[in-house]
Amino acid sequence: MLHRLIRFIQDITGYMQQRRSLEPEYPFSKLFKKFQNILASNNEALELIADMGDKLGGDYVFDKQYILSTYEQLKNHVFRLVLDLNTLSPGKYVRLFEVFEDINDTIQQELSGKWVLPQGDFAILYPALSQDMYELVGSKNANLADIRNILDLPTPDGFAITTSAFRAYLERNGLCDYLVQAMSLWDPDDEKACEEIASEIQAHFLSGSFPPEMTRQVETAVDALQRSNPGKMLCFAVRSSAWGEDSIHSFAGQYQSFLNVPVHQLLDSYRKVLASAYAPGVLAYRHEKGFQVQELAMSAGCQLMVNAAVSGVIYTLDALSGETDTLLITAAWGLGAPVVDGSVLTDRFKVSRTPPHAIGNVALAQKSTMMLPEAAGGTKTVPVPDSRQHEPCLTQDQVQKLAEMALLIERYFKRPQDIEWAIDTEGKIVILQARPLHIRTQPGCTADHVAKAMSDHAILLNNQGIVVQRGVVAGKVFVVRNEDDLLNTPTGAILVARHTSPRLARVMRRIQGILTDVGSPMGHMATIAREFRVPTIVNTTVATRILKTGDSITLDASQNIVYSGLIPELCYDEITSEDVFEESYEYRLLRRILRNVSPLNLIDPHDQNFRPSGCQTVHDIIRFVHEKAVQQLIHLGDTRTAQADATSKRLKCAIPLGLTVIDIGGGIQAGNAMARDIGPEDIASTPMKAFLEGLTAPGMWSTEPMSVDFGSFMSSLTRTFSAASESARYTNRNLAVVSAEYLDLNLRLGYHFNIIDAYVSDKPNDNYAYFRFLGGVTDVTRRSRRARFIGEVLERFNFRVDIRGDLVVGRIKKLDRDIMIEKITIIGCLVAYTRQLDVQMNSDDDIHQHVSDFFKGVCVHDIGSENNGFNTG
Amino acid sequence: MTSDQKTTVLILDDEPIVCKRLKPALEKSGYEVESFTRSREAMHRLTERQFDIAITDLKMDGMDGMAFLTEVKKRYPETEVIVITGFATMETAKESYQKGVFDFVAKPFKLGEILEVVKKAEAKRRSA
Repeated sequence: MLHRLIRFIQDITGYMQQRRSLEPEYPFSKLFKKFQNILASNNEALELIADMGDKLGGDYVFDKQYILSTYEQLKNHVFRLVLDLNTLSPGKYVRLFEVFEDINDTIQQELSGKWVLPQGDFAILYPALSQDMYELVGSKNANLADIRNILDLPTPDGFAITTSAFRAYLERNGLCDYLVQAMSLWDPDDEKACEEIASEIQAHFLSGSFPPEMTRQVETAVDALQRSNPGKMLCFAVRSSAWGEDSIHSFAGQYQSFLNVPVHQLLDSYRKVLASAYAPGVLAYRHEKGFQVQELAMSAGCQLMVNAAVSGVIYTLDALSGETDTLLITAAWGLGAPVVDGSVLTDRFKVSRTPPHAIGNVALAQKSTMMLPEAAGGTKTVPVPDSRQHEPCLTQDQVQKLAEMALLIERYFKRPQDIEWAIDTEGKIVILQARPLHIRTQPGCTADHVAKAMSDHAILLNNQGIVVQRGVVAGKVFVVRNEDDLLNTPTGAILVARHTSPRLARVMRRIQGILTDVGSPMGHMATIAREFRVPTIVNTTVATRILKTGDSITLDASQNIVYSGLIPELCYDEITSEDVFEESYEYRLLRRILRNVSPLNLIDPHDQNFRPSGCQTVHDIIRFVHEKAVQQLIHLGDTRTAQADATSKRLKCAIPLGLTVIDIGGGIQAGNAMARDIGPEDIASTPMKAFLEGLTAPGMWSTEPMSVDFGSFMSSLTRTFSAASESARYTNRNLAVVSAEYLDLNLRLGYHFNIIDAYVSDKPNDNYAYFRFLGGVTDVTRRSRRARFIGEVLERFNFRVDIRGDLVVGRIKKLDRDIMIEKITIIGCLVAYTRQLDVQMNSDDDIHQHVSDFFKGVCVHDIGSENNGFNTG
Repeated sequence: MTSDQKTTVLILDDEPIVCKRLKPALEKSGYEVESFTRSREAMHRLTERQFDIAITDLKMDGMDGMAFLTEVKKRYPETEVIVITGFATMETAKESYQKGVFDFVAKPFKLGEILEVVKKAEAKRRSA
């Protein structure tokens, strides 16, 4: 439907383009109306995106209907945006319809349950796997990919052969119908008949042939691995990774794995892994559990062998002892298979789950044999040299590192974990596999028991803030007040900060939880906290006052309560009883949809990729339309001066800005409708007022003559306008488009080109500010110093910052009106302060000096003196 | 009902995710909960026992939440019914209130929100 509509509109707009010279153009006021529509749709679309992101934190209950209807609304807004932009600049962006159609197609397919994969879906390298691909690659592969790609822990290189490959294999060999037919004869009471059926099925699987496309994709994946491991003879561990294998029904250990498989035997081993899923015992188990034979979807992991000196297993909770604060590590020399199947004696280390993970009981075994890889493939069992039989396999340091990694994995998956690991001959720890450890809730750990444990602890915060990510953790508070604090954040801390800030993302991996006084559940930090599943409550107003560094607390972000002291019973209860909502179908679907919706790739409008074909997500399209609409409006203002006169004014102020202001609604005080010149006092636009206040703050706009050294003088002569050629047109024509809540400012000051785009209203969700700075003059080093200075200042005020060369983009959003005003005032200060800056950037030390000077200047004027997470340098 | 007995809650929603998330959350808060994704089964359960509180979706595939609401109130007028729905129109809201619904919660909702409504319904039941 959308498809046909788009074709129709493309025809119309093409027609409009042809007729353009003949038809009278729209009156300026009509085009303004379009522009206002674009602004409104823009805000509503962004709001919907943020709303969907917010749902991922677990505090909401939503169903598939929510995803469908919200995306439907979003789609309509974006469609309107594309349409309005093409009316505003007839036919200029017809290509955008096609781009939107492609993105929409992908999303619709995801919504209808299909997988959309750019690189073919039979074999996928681990780095290319994203979250939520359980159905496609099975739990084992999906978990390992998350451990590698999100938690950034070392895992073996390799790839997944997907369930799609499995289906293609079944189809090619006519196995689908055969399986149903063979299993119809299954009779659990006739053991002998069952064994015959199973061995016949297995024989069918082992004699099948591979779809050529599948062979090709596996070869491509192997080639890629060979390129990143030049000169190495590749050998693989081939493991099963069935969909559902590690979930409620544990098929653990029932499927076969093959170790040290050379490349030429890879597909053969894969076939054996498939066949192992039809062994008599496995079939009987699945039959008994009520699984249909055609329900099985098998995937396999092909991992490069780790040259293991030591291998073992970690249980993040010691299931047998029932102790709530102990994890258990078992270890032996060589490869891990004998540890997993229990055929060798192992060293056992009991370790505290609380950092710094004190080692408790250690039981060393006599390790007489070990498994090693054979040079030509396969494995061998050899005796352990006498001298090492009684030696512990792990050092204290290794034990603690393993414990740290294991708990990071547990925190992410929110279930006790059963983890296989190895340490290679160079001493590097590698995680081979992680799956949930099924623990029956201890009889002593019922709700009443937990309630009793909780009653012994004072409640410090109760329903004080907004839950960003659910979950329960216990640990020590670490209050972050400045950059140094942030860098020194200890592992396992519960981080407490005045403000949410994208900067906290840097330590997200090593902290257990976050509490802030001020902040939005929809900002950038919230998104990252959800990605890492770090329990987080924002906007508590009092966290930094009530909590001190070193305090022991339990953060229950599921109930929105903070308790004094550690309550391991509550954490234990959370990870053993609560359903992991992140694993439910709806959450995974929403995350998959959002991958095509929310990432922003078009950050810089002057990047050559800033065009319709560069749009990869819905957000990109929204951003593109918005930017081009503003440019178009400026262009119209330029070319239709006569018509624009009614709404455009010249701003006269103490600083010569050469600024024309176009009011699209409530941006200029009423009563001045006829005047051509206005003063700052006539501005009614909230963000514009804030910006001007910062720009003209005393001490920020330096009028002192600068001493220019010879080097920077020469480079300013030789540098041309080319870097900012787009802006050359506006040299004497700075332009602001304003409304009561909106500001879009293109401001050229000397060689600096600033764009500020901001919206400030009483609805925090609509609020945002975008600041882009591109400078000229002087040499590259000084320019990049200046960029770093600006970046550092913006970061300290909790902007999300991107720096590329001498381009700086700062973004901030969804804060209360007053805080937004402060942030925009800061931008004003920064624009004024930076005006004269490049020539002074003689060394890197100057950056810090200027950051500190800037903050002093800002503090003198009492701007941002309190409300900004990190105040001083 | 006596105060040391747990308050009983029935949940009916054809979206399994709603039951799956609501049930443990209510249980953790001390309620005794049964959940259903099929109205026929929920209706049948009503013939066997009474619940203090019923939570139901209004618009579900192949069934009518309004009919369920009517049935509950007919059979047990004192049971408090909470409607959760993604499509609340003035019409359905009016009809639900006429039939004696306790409160309306729009989907998607926060767990905290629905717990609060359930607590209020419970308070009303206990004071009755």
